[in-house]
Amino acid sequence: MSHVYTSVGWNRQKKIYDSTLAVGIAVYLGLFVGIGSVVHPNATIETLLIRGFGTCALLMLHIILSIGPLCRLVPRLLPLLYNRRHFGVMMFLMALAHGAFSLIQFHALGELNPLVSVLVSNCRYDSLRNFPFQPLGLVALLILFLMAATSHDFWLANLTAPIWKRLHMLVYVAYGLIVAHVVLGVLQSETNPLLAVTLGVGMVVVLGLHLLAAWRERALDAPSDATSSADGFVDVCAVEEIKLNCAKIVTLGGERVAVFKYDGKVSALSNVCQHQNGPLGEGRIIDGCVTCPWHGYQYLPDSGASPPPFAEKVPTFNVKIVNGRVLVDPKPNAPGTRVEPAKF
Amino acid sequence: MQNDHEFYVGYLSKAPGGIAVLARRAVIGLGLLTVLVALVLVFAQQRFAASFFEFGNVREFQGIVREWPVPLLVSGSTSKALVAEGKHGASSLVAGMDGLSIALRGTLIHRDGLEMIEVAENSVRVLGEADRNVSAIENLGTHTLVGEIVDSKCYLGVMNPGHTKPHRECAALCIRGGIPPLFVARDAANHSIHLWLMSETGQPVNQQVLDFVAEPMEITGQVSRIGDQMYFNASLAAYKRLP
Repeated sequence: MSHVYTSVGWNRQKKIYDSTLAVGIAVYLGLFVGIGSVVHPNATIETLLIRGFGTCALLMLHIILSIGPLCRLVPRLLPLLYNRRHFGVMMFLMALAHGAFSLIQFHALGELNPLVSVLVSNCRYDSLRNFPFQPLGLVALLILFLMAATSHDFWLANLTAPIWKRLHMLVYVAYGLIVAHVVLGVLQSETNPLLAVTLGVGMVVVLGLHLLAAWRERALDAPSDATSSADGFVDVCAVEEIKLNCAKIVTLGGERVAVFKYDGKVSALSNVCQHQNGPLGEGRIIDGCVTCPWHGYQYLPDSGASPPPFAEKVPTFNVKIVNGRVLVDPKPNAPGTRVEPAKF
Repeated sequence: MQNDHEFYVGYLSKAPGGIAVLARRAVIGLGLLTVLVALVLVFAQQRFAASFFEFGNVREFQGIVREWPVPLLVSGSTSKALVAEGKHGASSLVAGMDGLSIALRGTLIHRDGLEMIEVAENSVRVLGEADRNVSAIENLGTHTLVGEIVDSKCYLGVMNPGHTKPHRECAALCIRGGIPPLFVARDAANHSIHLWLMSETGQPVNQQVLDFVAEPMEITGQVSRIGDQMYFNASLAAYKRLP
């Protein structure tokens, strides 16, 4: 976390992450183009590059989309999530290379502007088999560009987290468009079943992990049978149920609340990190601060405010302990409002 | 190795031991997946056709120009189709030169015995008048053929693959630019026959066939041979899309 904007806030983990990615990309392209040129000596280098960049981007997109639910299911894999934005930007660069090479190869040096040609050279919208697949890829590329261009925390702060998050959820639209681009494009010509099976397995993995993670999460959002007291406080759990320096996540009034236990005290704050909506309740108290498991953003447990000079704030909830039971007022306080912790 | 107390914070210099081990295993797994996917995709691709574009090898060619039905450079009993650079036909490069002996510089494109020259800009020189007599047209009858309309330049070697759906947009742009459309028909034994696609009256059909390229087609028309080139004259009404 940083209180000033730098192009990239490099640290050791990010350097390891990005180096590993770069090696992975180099290995993939090296194998695809290198072995491809031996196995297919008649293939032109342009074709191998277009296919290499495109399939590399598609493989990366599958991994990127799998990391989120995978980390929900196995939180110890969170190092894979830490610098996923760079993963996304690199995937966009691969997709851009695929698109740029294709635009030059298929649409340059003709009677039409290449971008116009992409849109008008095939107008068989009435036929699924002959449907224009290139505009689908173009729209997907534009979405990926928007996401890559706004991936920096500057945009996250200025667009606000909910808008930024919604914008970046468009990755699922892009994924659908790209799958259609592949199925209606190259798979109409390349008919080896292994290719369709490979894509199908990727789709099943992405979809399966999302459904599994959603099924796990559903239990968390199930209506609580907790009882409310006359003053509106809700009995959420016994103090002993919360591990020290950890939280129990409860759903109150439809919102997830993280109830932390630390230093003989209990505090409750929103479960949603202001940075990228990470699950604060799955974080820990480190150096006296609630620490988000995704990117390490920190908040003081009693106020929900990041320690100075940082400015992030999340809503807090009034909390009390009665007979060893933790009671939380489901009505949130304004972000950053200090609430006296309940002592036990 | 599992330790529930471990907690990963990315900006700290070292990840906790157990988490680091798991992350390393995950990365190794993803690395193996990367190799596997690359190999599957390389080996699962179809064989690429033996089509060639001798890019960078600009040579001089001599012969007699035929403007019609498609621009050709005839030398002895063989002929080579002519196209311009980029996605453009060569009609304007040889306009008014029918029957003249010329020299030009260009790059050879070839596939399955069919040859084509991409003519270098401003390289055509008239050597003299050679032959104004058009070769005899050998009428081979009316036939119904099944195949695909391709742009001849890409199909013969400038791109590989230069046909079927993924190449459709490029083929349409090339044909729009004057590159003669070629009908690649296949017989029951999957042998291919290459015929220059013309109108019923032997005129270019470039602008009329744009909507039909790279699709399985059945066309009924008149097949003929002039020299070593085959032609297929058909009315648009005789074009039938196949499912």
